[in-house]
Amino acid sequence: MSTTAERRAADQRQKLEKAGLDFVDDRFGSSRWLQSAMDKIFPDHWSFMVGEIAMYSLIVLIITGIYLALFYVPSGAEVVYHGSYKPLDGQTMSEAYQSVINLSFHVRAGLVMRQVHHWAAIVFLAAVCFHLCRIFFSGAFRRPREINWTIGLLLLIIVMLEGFSGYSLPDDLLSGTGLRVVYSIVESIPVIGGWVAYDLWGGAFPGTTLIPRLFVVHEFLFPLVIVGLLTAHLAILWRQKHTDFPAPGKTETNIVGSRLWPQYAIKSGALFMMVIAVLCLLAGFFQVNPIWIYGPYTPYNVSAGSQPDWYVGWLDGALRIMPHWEFRSFGVEIPNPFFPGILIPGVLFGIMFAWPFIDRKIYNDEGPHNLLNYPRDRPFRTAVGVAALVFFSDLTMASGTDLIGNNLHISYERLIDILQYGAIIGPIVGGIIAYKVCVALQRTSAHPIQKPIGGVIVRGADGSYHTLGDTDHGGDHDGAATNGHGAEDEHLDGEGDGAGNGHGRPAEEETVGAGGTSGASAHSAGSSPPTDD
Amino acid sequence: MSMHLAPVRRFLRSLVAGRRRLLAGPLAVVGVAVVAGSFLFGLGGTSSATQPKVSTNKATITAGENLYNAHCSSCHGIDGVGGRGPSLIFAGAAASDFYLQTGRMPLNDPNDEPLRHHRWFSQHQIVAINSYIAALPKINRVKGSGPGIPEILPLCPASESHNNSQIAAQQAKGTAKCVTLSFGQHTFALDCAQCHQIAGSGGMLSKGFVIPTLQNASLDELGEAMRIGPMPMPKFGTGQLNHVQLSAVARYVKYLQQPAHPGGLRISGFGPVAEGFVGIILGLGLLVLVARLMGTRG
Amino acid sequence: MSTDQPTTGHRPGPEPAGPHYSEQDHGEQEQLFDLPPSTSPDSESYHLDPTHFGIEPGEPWPEDVPRDQDDTWWRYRDDPAGARKAEIKIAFMWIITLLCGLGLAVIYVMGGDPQIEGGLLALGFFCLGVGFVWWARDLLPGHDVTASRGHHSQSTEAYRTTVVASLGRGLEPIARRPFLGKALGLVGGVFGVCILFPLASLGPRLHNGLAKTAWGRNTRLVDENGRPVRPSDIDPNGILTVFPQTNPGDPQGATLLINLGPASNDYKPPLSRSTWKIDTPSGTIVAFSKICTHAGCPVGLYNTIAHELVCPCHQSTFNVLQDCKPVFGPAPRSLPQLALAVDTDGYLVSQTGYDQPVGPGYWGRG
Repeated sequence: MSTTAERRAADQRQKLEKAGLDFVDDRFGSSRWLQSAMDKIFPDHWSFMVGEIAMYSLIVLIITGIYLALFYVPSGAEVVYHGSYKPLDGQTMSEAYQSVINLSFHVRAGLVMRQVHHWAAIVFLAAVCFHLCRIFFSGAFRRPREINWTIGLLLLIIVMLEGFSGYSLPDDLLSGTGLRVVYSIVESIPVIGGWVAYDLWGGAFPGTTLIPRLFVVHEFLFPLVIVGLLTAHLAILWRQKHTDFPAPGKTETNIVGSRLWPQYAIKSGALFMMVIAVLCLLAGFFQVNPIWIYGPYTPYNVSAGSQPDWYVGWLDGALRIMPHWEFRSFGVEIPNPFFPGILIPGVLFGIMFAWPFIDRKIYNDEGPHNLLNYPRDRPFRTAVGVAALVFFSDLTMASGTDLIGNNLHISYERLIDILQYGAIIGPIVGGIIAYKVCVALQRTSAHPIQKPIGGVIVRGADGSYHTLGDTDHGGDHDGAATNGHGAEDEHLDGEGDGAGNGHGRPAEEETVGAGGTSGASAHSAGSSPPTDD
Repeated sequence: MSMHLAPVRRFLRSLVAGRRRLLAGPLAVVGVAVVAGSFLFGLGGTSSATQPKVSTNKATITAGENLYNAHCSSCHGIDGVGGRGPSLIFAGAAASDFYLQTGRMPLNDPNDEPLRHHRWFSQHQIVAINSYIAALPKINRVKGSGPGIPEILPLCPASESHNNSQIAAQQAKGTAKCVTLSFGQHTFALDCAQCHQIAGSGGMLSKGFVIPTLQNASLDELGEAMRIGPMPMPKFGTGQLNHVQLSAVARYVKYLQQPAHPGGLRISGFGPVAEGFVGIILGLGLLVLVARLMGTRG
Repeated sequence: MSTDQPTTGHRPGPEPAGPHYSEQDHGEQEQLFDLPPSTSPDSESYHLDPTHFGIEPGEPWPEDVPRDQDDTWWRYRDDPAGARKAEIKIAFMWIITLLCGLGLAVIYVMGGDPQIEGGLLALGFFCLGVGFVWWARDLLPGHDVTASRGHHSQSTEAYRTTVVASLGRGLEPIARRPFLGKALGLVGGVFGVCILFPLASLGPRLHNGLAKTAWGRNTRLVDENGRPVRPSDIDPNGILTVFPQTNPGDPQGATLLINLGPASNDYKPPLSRSTWKIDTPSGTIVAFSKICTHAGCPVGLYNTIAHELVCPCHQSTFNVLQDCKPVFGPAPRSLPQLALAVDTDGYLVSQTGYDQPVGPGYWGRG
């Protein structure tokens, strides 16, 4: 109950709000846009939040990154360290490395900022990959969202490179080894490889100009591209509105969820806080990238068990399991790293870029879609996705062969053999299994809207056969009505047993197609017939 | 040793049931902290070779010979001439001490890779066998000797930090009387990290040979291993690693067993693979859990 | 639409479904905030304003947007006591956040500690976030609203035609007189390529940089402290990393000296390389480039039982007794061998430089 005082306070508040909005509208004519923005609906499915988790990780990266950039010295010039970390005292290192050591040991809150930044990058890429899988398996890339899919893939690639360039900035032994490998991959490009490597590094490896250039790339060039692409990504999403999983009440032309203002904005803000909380938890309690243990980079030192950060692991693994082919004749050469480093990733990413169009051809489905697929409803696409995941997992495992071998006492020769075969057989087997699981799930589980496959035939007490849905046989119409079924409802439900038991007369029932769906009655109550896609 | 137990017993009982029982908790914490702290801060202070590990005493050598004949000669031959196992004539006390202290020997199958195991012999027995192995060249009437157990130089005390450049120069020349962690790190990174990993967690060689972690090695074992080159590890003689370099590496490896980790849990020191696991499973996992709690499950 | 079916027509979200108003069912409860009359359940003709549901004015109300949904509903709308309790719960959470903030300030002043800083930050933001979640769930409206998607994603045919006309205004004249178009294409292409030339300043001219090392005739081998090396310095089964004395920092010049020890008798080099090794009483000494021919990592692991050099990056394995031929892994070529000699002072020197480029391959390597 509101009192007069409360009413007056509410009046005052609304006068102020109107005054503020009028101020803006006088200048921008923005009221209509603001109204539609605040009224905008965002579906609430949990998997739609993972893209936001990625975005908020990016914001944390940018904020902590600016802080780190104020302490980092982008210089490859050699200095001698004389700080408090004794095991490096008196050693020669690059200024860049020294600045990161100083930040870790001599700057208050420096280490936690550094670790938040690094953990945020790890979680960011994990969220991006999860988000990519969600988009793929639910078919959200279909028309009209193909361009957003392309933008997303570009973001994935740039973000991987951004992470790689970021952890290479401290010029420590581990990341420097990674740079050496990337130099070789660039070098291996036919015809132009040597020139491109020379141009990027300013000469032969390691050179002295890479660190300052990497700084420009990591702080300036890539972030511009990422923010630009992300803005486009979000603007398209805003314009086209979010997709949603099919359910009773949801159609191609409506959208169900929370209002942007205040509901979704506050919930999204809460998610932002949670992302920061988890990243700070990791940063406080789990050490990451202890460069003081790795030591400064020199080209003749290397550590056993060198791996890149997890999201580049697939590339390192590809290099390990590639057979030693090299093309050499007439004085020219296509070196070995080209195949796993450029060619195979190029082909794979090419397929991913083209996927919306491949998918369209496979399913003969040109129409626009706002409702998603459940993965089980597109078994072939799901199988391809699972095969790709198995492939990338095989490659990522391959980047840790020496670690796995050391811990499980298996020789790396055997491991690499297994992973080589696994890279071919694994995806095929994984895809087939995924396909079969999807089809089985389609047939046997209580899918909310999926119609049974094939007709459903039931045998009556008098021995006659009929198809379910016939209203003139054994019909307990009230029972059917209280279960919420209309005449058009083809879901399996036992007839004559008004208790809602979904199996009718089990001894005489022959069903073809989907199994018992006694739970389906609760789902099918709805105001509009569900559309299936 | 039972002299002063009664008052101790009374005290402990009072902690559990008497007026001091509220102290029990904090005391336990303090006790654990003291014990843990003494381990944490104990590095750099231990010296190697607190007791002699080799003797020229005839009785000791004979005892060693008896032990050798009983447990080792079936592979390594009488008088260490070799057989299914390699000859031990020039193995030296360092090899004997290393293999026996780490339990690598006796080995069941000569084709197995000798890896760290629990110690088979007692310290007295090891000293005896060491002495016998050291005496093998004389017993076999050949010239020369195997590597002795190196004595590891101490860490330079912190108070001498103003002499840093002088100590550095001495270490580079090989004349220093103490070593620094920094010199050890520098040498370790060049000569050891490619096999044993930069944090000492181990690695993998070809043909299935495991490169062990250095987490459990004592100072003596580190020095011995470098000098003998226990197969498949290469041998580092004084021409490759002089005594100062060897001591520095040994001291640095001891540091690596309890390194500074201001950033939190070390996650085994394996590097980005372990970090990726934590980031994905714990980091993204927690956030996906949050999303599931906040969102719907249509 | 019958009244005994759930009004929003779909499964509710995590919070329990609250009372939904319909035309018949509105009591004397008042809103705590005012809305335009048509959307207030108090109004006599309760109907939803189409503009808030994505429906253009003048359009018929779509079938799939329920007409009796109440998007002003929130959990404790009719339960002020419950609302108060919810507020207190949220405030409690935010007090924890406040304390964490103060704790962070204190710990910073006291010198900082990454674990405490991380823990307080995590707890503070977590409680802040939980407060927001409860606020949205319990005290704010806007749950489970159904609206129309509208026709925004596709324009009408009429608009599409006029767009073509506008575009054609500029393109048609050029298409009809192709000279200008072709000229622009040519000029753009050539000019564009020319202005990219400064990119070449990023790096030096390629020439032989990738192939050369600092090893030459009679270059002394030095260790990483700059000391020249004698053959007796390497124990059997020993390894040592060495550099050319003329340029110890040459990154391409790192070389691995190996004393083959007991395996010296098994080492049978080809005739052309028979003078490249040094025979000593303790074993044969050979030298190979430390730069892996696969991707350039230092090949530092030596297996003294199998006599194999292993690269830690991608497990390329080279058999030293077979002139470092690759026997496993992705490396496609042997490690180049450095021809050794002993100078008059007894130190190891290189006879000449490497006979081939060291390290990974590239297009013009041949």
